[in-house]
Amino acid sequence: MELHYTPEQEAFRAEVRAWMEAHVPKEPLVTLECREGYDQHVAWERTLASGNWGMVTWPEQFGGRGLDLIQWLIFEEEYFRAGGPNRANQNGIFLLGPTIMEFGTEEQKARFLPPMARGEVIWAQAWSEPGAGSDMAAIQSKAVRDGDHYVITGQKTWSSRAAFADWGFGIFRTDPDSKRHKGLTFILFDLNSPGITRRPIRQLHGDTGFAELFFDEVRVPVENCLAGEGQGWNVAMATAGFERGLMLRSPGRFQATAKRLVELYRAHEAEASPAAREAVVQAWGAAQAYAYNTYAVASKIMAGGKIGAEASLNKIFWSELDRSMHRTAMQILGAHAELKRFGNGQINQWLEGYIFSLSGPIYAGSNEVQRNIIAERLLGLPRVGAG
Amino acid sequence: MDFRFSDDQLTLTESVRDYLSGTHGPEVLRRLDEQGNRDPAIWQGLVEMGLTGLLVPEEHGGLGLGLVEAALIAAECGRACLAEPLVDTAFVAVPWLVHQGDTDGLQAIAQGTRTVPLPHVLNPWVADGEGQPLQSVDPLRNLAMFSASGPADEHLLNLGALMSAAQLLGLADAMLHQATEYAKIRTQFGQPVGAFQGLKHQLASCAVAIEFAKPVVWRAAQALQDGVTSAATHVSHAKLAAGDAAIQTAETAIQVHGAMGYTYEVDLHFWMKRSWALCGAWGDRAFHVRRIDEAVLGGSLPIGPEHTFA
Repeated sequence: MELHYTPEQEAFRAEVRAWMEAHVPKEPLVTLECREGYDQHVAWERTLASGNWGMVTWPEQFGGRGLDLIQWLIFEEEYFRAGGPNRANQNGIFLLGPTIMEFGTEEQKARFLPPMARGEVIWAQAWSEPGAGSDMAAIQSKAVRDGDHYVITGQKTWSSRAAFADWGFGIFRTDPDSKRHKGLTFILFDLNSPGITRRPIRQLHGDTGFAELFFDEVRVPVENCLAGEGQGWNVAMATAGFERGLMLRSPGRFQATAKRLVELYRAHEAEASPAAREAVVQAWGAAQAYAYNTYAVASKIMAGGKIGAEASLNKIFWSELDRSMHRTAMQILGAHAELKRFGNGQINQWLEGYIFSLSGPIYAGSNEVQRNIIAERLLGLPRVGAG
Repeated sequence: MDFRFSDDQLTLTESVRDYLSGTHGPEVLRRLDEQGNRDPAIWQGLVEMGLTGLLVPEEHGGLGLGLVEAALIAAECGRACLAEPLVDTAFVAVPWLVHQGDTDGLQAIAQGTRTVPLPHVLNPWVADGEGQPLQSVDPLRNLAMFSASGPADEHLLNLGALMSAAQLLGLADAMLHQATEYAKIRTQFGQPVGAFQGLKHQLASCAVAIEFAKPVVWRAAQALQDGVTSAATHVSHAKLAAGDAAIQTAETAIQVHGAMGYTYEVDLHFWMKRSWALCGAWGDRAFHVRRIDEAVLGGSLPIGPEHTFA
């Protein structure tokens, strides 16, 4: 165990810090979940790309820096230290990008990855359907082969970024007689294709981050299918693995929140409860624990190891930590917690963050599903009911 | 930066785990419980494994290893619910004596002929020491009232707290395992009770708590070994995280066992009671929360994403 950075790692940290200090917007951007905020966040993606900081772990040939996971952690620490905005390109960087690298043809890699890295094409995910949320194998939207096209008919919902994004990806039933996990195909589609109707869904906070997608005989070229017809479930599981795994939520984000929570507590120390004080101490501890665990997993992967069902432990931990930190902040804020803007005009970011944190235990596979995975695959308890 | 154990560390840990699981099962705890709590043959086995000399410098007849190795072995002692005073003597007293420059008795410790029950001002009694006996809820813990007040030495406290935290990890792991195995074989309503989500989710939550307590303990061990200035905070963090994980797992495990869990017949209670004892020893929960509080809210520890290893 060697818990010190090398001089090269320290130098890299200094390089990231200098760039972030010079480029991260001084004022927080408007929320990503509205047109104005989305455009601001996409502009930020392009700024990041201009410094080649958009996709740091991707290989250089696809527009990345080919960094290892420890360097990635350092990058993320500095990103959140500087207060870097949420990533509009999240679905591309961490989900679709790695999926295309693993399953795509050379032509697909060359076509889709560089524009993603440059922040020119922003991707939405389209997994869920009205009848297929946690139970994704219940998908019904159809893609029927017609010559060199698929003709897609059906409906997707709760699609992150889909209100404003350029392209989408999801799985569709290509074999009409198939059931459950079979006969599904992973397809990439232009969200502006004729026949697609997007209906933004107003979320808990009142803004429109995700959307319903209606497909009415949408023609998509067959070369937009990833890993071959009928392989959709395997590809989607790999993608979901990326989502729950190491990279969706880096520790820096939660360490930054814990630090802000400490500062909030200090400002309200006179009126805050002893329980809130201990919750703040616990928040620091849990954010640190998450960081250590991520370093341990990163070290293991760099030495040739893999993570499987352990990713579910991660997803539960960060999502419940995030919710609990924001809940603590709301308690400390007391009567002020309900204000969307404080008396001085400043946005109540704790309120926005609390609302967002409530989605963490639901998306990327609900925490109930994750607990089943842990119980069945890590602890070896019997499976019942699931098909 | 590499947050992994070396192959040597893993091999050592595995050999101790195999040895204890082969020689120190629940039947041994029951025998000790009925026949006097300590067994020279068990102690001799630990001596022959070299464990009493693990931290004794090589020139005094030991293996000269460090606190990370000791913490890994302490976790195995917790997993086996070992009652012999190995951790107190070999992993707490030895590094403290070395730190004090008091090396005269180290050889005897390595050879297994000397144990050192250490008092501390926070522990008014010692395990396996001389003095008026006290009864612990843990039937295998031999407590004695210490006549004078122990030292208030911070390094000693940190060593004791770190090694308690490491044992708590092993205890928690073992309790989760016992509960999981029971849930696989106990059937009700025509199926193993472990198939019910009500139990699955509770056990999964324990797995999460244990998983995220582990690296906190390893980090604390490395910090104390390296003598970093913030080591005391990290030790307190370790004790808090491992203690909370162990108590959560103990309560869940008894629930999973149902009425059987409330009997003396089921093995679980040995591990649960050791967890209760170690949670309070070497600084209780309130003490360690306060030490973290002083560093984090008090501002002496740099916090934030860029200070993961501060």
